Amino acid sequence: MTEDAERSEGAGEGETPPVHGVRVRPATTQDLPVMAGLLVRLKRLNEEFDPLLKVREDAEEKAEKVLTADLGQVQALLLVAEGTGPDEGKVVGVSRALVRERPFYLPEREGVIQDIYLLPAYRRRRVGEYLLSETVRQLKAKGASLVTAEFPAQNQIATRFYAKRGFRPIVATHAKRL
Amino acid sequence: MGGTLPKSRTEGAAGSDREEEEAKQSRDAEEETREISRRAVDLARYYAGKIEVVPRVPIRGLRDFAYWYTPGIAQVSREIHQDPGLAFDLTGRWNTIAIVTDGSRVLGLGDVGPEAALPVMEGKAMLFKYLGGVDAFPLPVRVKDASGLVETVERLEPALGGVNLEDIASPKCFQVLDELRSRLSIPVWHDDQLGTAAAVVAGLLNALTLTGRKIETASIVLLGAGAANLATARLLKALHADLGAMMVVDQHGILNAHREDMDSLMLHHRWKYELALSTNEGRRKGGLPEALAGADVLVAASTPTPGLVTGEGIASMAPEPVVFALANPEPEIWPAVARAAGAKVVATGRSDYPNQVNNSLVFPGVFRGVLDARARSIPDEVVITAARELAKGAEVRGITPEHILPTMDEEGVFPQMAAAVASACVDLGLARVHRSRAEFLSLARERMDRPKRLAEVLIRNGLIPPMPPDPMGNPSGEMEEET
Repeated sequence: MTEDAERSEGAGEGETPPVHGVRVRPATTQDLPVMAGLLVRLKRLNEEFDPLLKVREDAEEKAEKVLTADLGQVQALLLVAEGTGPDEGKVVGVSRALVRERPFYLPEREGVIQDIYLLPAYRRRRVGEYLLSETVRQLKAKGASLVTAEFPAQNQIATRFYAKRGFRPIVATHAKRL
Repeated sequence: MGGTLPKSRTEGAAGSDREEEEAKQSRDAEEETREISRRAVDLARYYAGKIEVVPRVPIRGLRDFAYWYTPGIAQVSREIHQDPGLAFDLTGRWNTIAIVTDGSRVLGLGDVGPEAALPVMEGKAMLFKYLGGVDAFPLPVRVKDASGLVETVERLEPALGGVNLEDIASPKCFQVLDELRSRLSIPVWHDDQLGTAAAVVAGLLNALTLTGRKIETASIVLLGAGAANLATARLLKALHADLGAMMVVDQHGILNAHREDMDSLMLHHRWKYELALSTNEGRRKGGLPEALAGADVLVAASTPTPGLVTGEGIASMAPEPVVFALANPEPEIWPAVARAAGAKVVATGRSDYPNQVNNSLVFPGVFRGVLDARARSIPDEVVITAARELAKGAEVRGITPEHILPTMDEEGVFPQMAAAVASACVDLGLARVHRSRAEFLSLARERMDRPKRLAEVLIRNGLIPPMPPDPMGNPSGEMEEET
């Protein structure tokens, strides 16, 4: 998530969030190439935070494969934010999530937000907030009673974005190169 | 500052054989630069420093030291201790600035470090004194990171009436300027941003009028996204230029909100990120040729890449376009070529062509003004006041396509700028000293004239030795270069 999103979304408490210029809808096969591009942009942003998140040469190709696989799975959730006005029909944001079982813990079903990305021009308009809330809503509809988000540990922008919306760290991933 | 070069260069062989003309101008420029550089090293060795500290009080004998130093000075110290603001009255603080650099982007040389930056800062200090009557201390500092630089300058504040930042790499320079502007109670200026931007804006205001354009509706292309152009964009925004129609072109092409490097900019260069979000509303893609098509104005302040701007590019702009090609020593496009391609007004960074866009037109007047008002800061409104006054200054000799800016020898302009700046500081509630504009004007005239008289006396009495003869045969020691 972006600091821009945060800046505007943190501001107006209790107001109805004005969401300008996007619609959020489930992804379709036609969206996949554009979504793959956006996903790779997000991975490149992640790369800025840690050398162990170095993006592979074939990331775009892989992204299409991963997204194609997601589309066929009931536990996966793929949403796109679609522009309106001059960007009518253009995919400007994407969220990728899944619902999974927690065999040892309660609550039993967890919605995991793996990726959320929004083109810079659509930040600061509460679009990120909107995309997140739609994602959470649909994860809940799929049976999740807990939602988690994954992002690079060094990404302070994401940390703040989620913290403002009530998220806190519960599991840490520590890495070491072999 | 006299252009002593053959007149034919300014007239050029417009259109006849452009490429040959361009190549010849390029060779001439290189040769001239080599010649000046060689001589500059000899002179640096001969004079070993360009400024020195000189007392400004009478010393009739050693006994007078009792006033200027102990024991008398203790009382002066006590009074300032009671009221720190008195430092501006009882010491030279009112007229003292530091020229601070980390040496990370010196001229076009790059990161040469603080020691190698010293001759440049010394030269700047000399210009500050000679042109503005300002006592400037060259202070290259050994610090790498922005916050360390900010902290260093913050610690210097008690001795200073102002700070001039110089030759600091981008984007570090933006963070350093922004933070120091908010933390210090004296004006902080970054000449590579504000000085250049003010001169550009002044020239543009007149060029737009000359070509029947309005700033609110002109489509402006900025080539280069360094310190100068980012500051220019900020000032143009404050002047209600249409940012949505503006295009900024860097080494990767036209800046636009969808560009691949946007997230990296968000993390590492938020000033450029902001500009990418607010400019180029039509999200035009491509490079300079795509940006220039139909544009009214080109302001090129790029890393020198000769041949980057072509006659064809200029010809593709709107009729009678305005072209500022500011790279030094070799502009992005030579004036003759730009004019042959239809440019109505052409400006460069060079003194041997008409319309020199030069920081030296700006910083002496600006600093004279803020120091005379003992200003607490110098916000962009004041920078714009300076730019407007400079633009107005060109009216004295008449505004023509060959004269959109005053030249350095139109000296009457600079005290006027100082007075306008000082008055603007008063109006904005930033001044520690309140005077009328007429009073500020006469103060500025006196204070800007004094160093010239001083130099004259020192030279006449041989205290400043005359220029040594050039062993390589150039009979004249006369030279001037842009800062």
